[in-house]
Amino acid sequence: MTDLATGGISPEPVTDAAPARSHMVRRLLKHRTFVIGVIGLTIIVLIALGAPLLAPHDPLTQDLANSLAPPFWGEGGSFDHPLGTDTLGRDVASRLMYGARNSLVIAFFAVLLASVLGLAAGLSAGFSRGWLDSVLMRLGDIQLAFPFILLAIVVLGVITDRNAVHLILVLGIPTWILYARVVRSRVLAEREKDYVLAAKSIGASRMRQMRRYVLPSVWMVVLVIAMLDFGFVIMVEATLSFLGFGLTPPTPSWGSILAEGRRNMIIAPWLAILPGLAIMVTVLAINITADGAADVLDPKLKMSIFRRLAQKKPANGTSTDLESEDAGSTRSEPAATKDEVEPPTLLEVRDLSVEFPLEDKVVKAVRHVSFDVHREQTLGIIGETGSGKSVLASSIIQLIDSPGRVTNGEVLFEGRDVTRIGDNEVAQLRGTKIGMIFQNPASSLNPVLSIGSQMVETIRQHQKVSPADARDMASQALLDVGIGDPQGILSQYPFQLSGGMNQRVMIALAMLAQPDLLIADEPSSALDVTTQAQVLERLRDITRQHQTSLILITHDIALVAEFADEILVMYAGQVCEVGPVRSVIDDTKHPYTKALLDSVPRAEIETGTRLQVIPGELPDPTALPPGCPFADRCGSMMNICREVNPSQVRVGPDHDVACHLWSSNKDEEKV
Amino acid sequence: MLRYILRRTGQMVVVVFGVVTLVFFLLRIASGDPARMMNPPGQQEELVQLTREKIGTDRPLMVQYWDYLVGLPQGDLGTSFHGGHPVLDELLKALPNTAMLAVTTILFSSAVALILGIGAALRANGAFDRVVLVYVSVALATPSFWLAIVLVLIFAAKLDWLPAIDMEGPKSFVLPVITLAVMLTPVLIRTIRQSFLETLSDDHIRAARARGIPERRVILVHGLKVAALPLVTLIGLQLGMILAGSYVVENIFNWPGIGKLTLDAVAGRNFPMIQGGVLVAALAFVIVNFLVDLAYAALDPRIRISAK
Repeated sequence: MTDLATGGISPEPVTDAAPARSHMVRRLLKHRTFVIGVIGLTIIVLIALGAPLLAPHDPLTQDLANSLAPPFWGEGGSFDHPLGTDTLGRDVASRLMYGARNSLVIAFFAVLLASVLGLAAGLSAGFSRGWLDSVLMRLGDIQLAFPFILLAIVVLGVITDRNAVHLILVLGIPTWILYARVVRSRVLAEREKDYVLAAKSIGASRMRQMRRYVLPSVWMVVLVIAMLDFGFVIMVEATLSFLGFGLTPPTPSWGSILAEGRRNMIIAPWLAILPGLAIMVTVLAINITADGAADVLDPKLKMSIFRRLAQKKPANGTSTDLESEDAGSTRSEPAATKDEVEPPTLLEVRDLSVEFPLEDKVVKAVRHVSFDVHREQTLGIIGETGSGKSVLASSIIQLIDSPGRVTNGEVLFEGRDVTRIGDNEVAQLRGTKIGMIFQNPASSLNPVLSIGSQMVETIRQHQKVSPADARDMASQALLDVGIGDPQGILSQYPFQLSGGMNQRVMIALAMLAQPDLLIADEPSSALDVTTQAQVLERLRDITRQHQTSLILITHDIALVAEFADEILVMYAGQVCEVGPVRSVIDDTKHPYTKALLDSVPRAEIETGTRLQVIPGELPDPTALPPGCPFADRCGSMMNICREVNPSQVRVGPDHDVACHLWSSNKDEEKV
Repeated sequence: MLRYILRRTGQMVVVVFGVVTLVFFLLRIASGDPARMMNPPGQQEELVQLTREKIGTDRPLMVQYWDYLVGLPQGDLGTSFHGGHPVLDELLKALPNTAMLAVTTILFSSAVALILGIGAALRANGAFDRVVLVYVSVALATPSFWLAIVLVLIFAAKLDWLPAIDMEGPKSFVLPVITLAVMLTPVLIRTIRQSFLETLSDDHIRAARARGIPERRVILVHGLKVAALPLVTLIGLQLGMILAGSYVVENIFNWPGIGKLTLDAVAGRNFPMIQGGVLVAALAFVIVNFLVDLAYAALDPRIRISAK
């Protein structure tokens, strides 16, 4: 089974093979183009096999009195020769049917030969991994170093009396390496999997390992390649016949009928056009069948992108649905009014919801989130992977991954709602007023552009300066983030730098225009511990120096406690607790925040106390409960928690919490 | 770098030597007696023997092979069985015609594939994407020889806009190039679309947008520089397809290139000319792929710098 279906770690893949297989058949039948392809292909194969019964005439019988008769729709055409006749008066329809038979049979056996050779070579190379492997793969390299089809054409051309076996050999042998390579890599991957290793450790013989564990995973790949190869071989066979190198005349084949038709193409164009259409329809049917099968049977071979997209969503922090959340709760009202003595607000997020409409469901990644960021302050947003914090950050600069979109609320930056202004205006904010740095510094820089050119580009995008001046500014910016040798770094590429160095470059890039707000999405998670501290201190220094507000997104509550002025705790797309950092840490209200704090080592905890882990995991994003999303993992769960999603209540100065323990209707007793 | 070039040159020599040897022996195993074919049917044995002596096929096989091998480095590819011209001269006359056709095809196909591939990737699953994917499927299933004939029927025979055959002036390039491009573009479009889709979801694209780089520049500079790299390699690999396609296209359009020369030689069992045609194809393939690898390294700093 493909490991997508079984997760690849199932100890005994054969037991769940049956349901997985019927599941695949069902998905295949739902794939529209696949079904169309199969139907088309079946009709063509039936016509080809049934040629002796279906053909109105013998394909070789000549009738010179009736040569070049037009097809039935032409002037003087009749249904006796529905598709007309050729120069020798032979019935075109019958010749096309017999031609189909020859083409399909030759292509079928050529593909069979190639796949058997390739499968055998791939399996033995993958399993032996010794000299046999290197010999076979080296042979393949040589074969790929020259398109052997060119050689095949001339060799076939000089054979005086060609038969089907010649064609099968010439068409089949050159493609074995396609199968061998894929099979070999699958075998290598498969034999490292747990269940195969386990089978080996209990002494399963090599043949048994191969038959029971490896072949099931390999045969589908081979099938998909074979189908794609099938269409290609039919095309090549037709080309050879057209050039006169196919089956020796008068045996009909599509290519040779077309070649004959070419001589009379002005007076009898149908002779040339019809066989081409037959080839086209056949190859098209085969290709769309193969594509459909590849989509379903072996997504790895083809649909790598869709897989990436599908996986990206949850990884970016999304969770699903909660339709009844407003039932009985007044959660959408922003938590009371703010004290006006605070520094002026730079960013106000009000009741923001972000959704990702997928095929059959909607993932609600961010749900009714409200918070403020004040000038020159640092807000720490904390949550587990999947809590929606990164999506929240992306929505501030309107860079939500497709197909996500803001469905509710507003993001007011200096009083303007960035969710409603035009793309151009948002683009102007980016890099000038709002900067952003990302989790993975190495992949966040363009791999084929030098650091210098990326920095100069960014500077010149926002300021009218000469390239030389821009380079000086870039070099100064690198010095500011503590890079000692800016000139050297400018001419280097991201892959030449360490992770910490790249992240400093990212900080320098984001700070180039001295933005009012910097969003740092897990800026240190990908770095090692010592570099983490350096990078974060640099980040703090430079934001203070330039009076920049900072949103620091992380899963590390200790980090937030150290670096932030305010803290916002997110869980399953919503806010659990928000407030000034001291108030939240010292007077923790939400059980989730408590659990987070208990799970990190802190100096003030006595030695000997065991660190707590939070039992359970984030709710299944496809089946969120109607009540509090944390209820299942909560030590203080009450009946109401299962039914009603708590709304935010004020528990201290600027300190809000969304938990029934603190809401007014606490009359429910504890469970 | 020098060591890399030397090693690759060595590999190329081995491949070309192998191809030349293979074709030399396969031709002689597969074919009947060329001397007999050059004489009318039922010709007296003595006269056939005279032809054999003239074209040199009377000598032992290994002697013929040895002479051929010794001649190769000196540029002596033998003498054509028909007409008695040196094979090299004929090949050199035909090569530019095929090269022009191939280069025009590659440039045209790459341009078309970049436009369609990027356009499709930018709005994946949109209307344009669907149209492009339908084109890819249909083009993949279209036999080039058939397309050439249909094009001739429409644009030469019916509309009389373009010449049907022969290489005369820029107009005569149109139909052969379109035929080859329809063969070549589906693979290119698929690759560019795929690679662009992957690149567009890369972190650095997002980061470039976050720095306020305009969308047009994000796509055409940041995206293209990364996403177009596979195109370079692909064109090298597809050269085999183009050469095979030129056999067909040159045959149909009566194009005086290597493909037509080789096929005519096959029909006449003109061994030295066939060997010459295959040798040119092999050299073209390995040299172009070598240049493509060098170009790739020049375009991708990750390879350029670590190779130093």
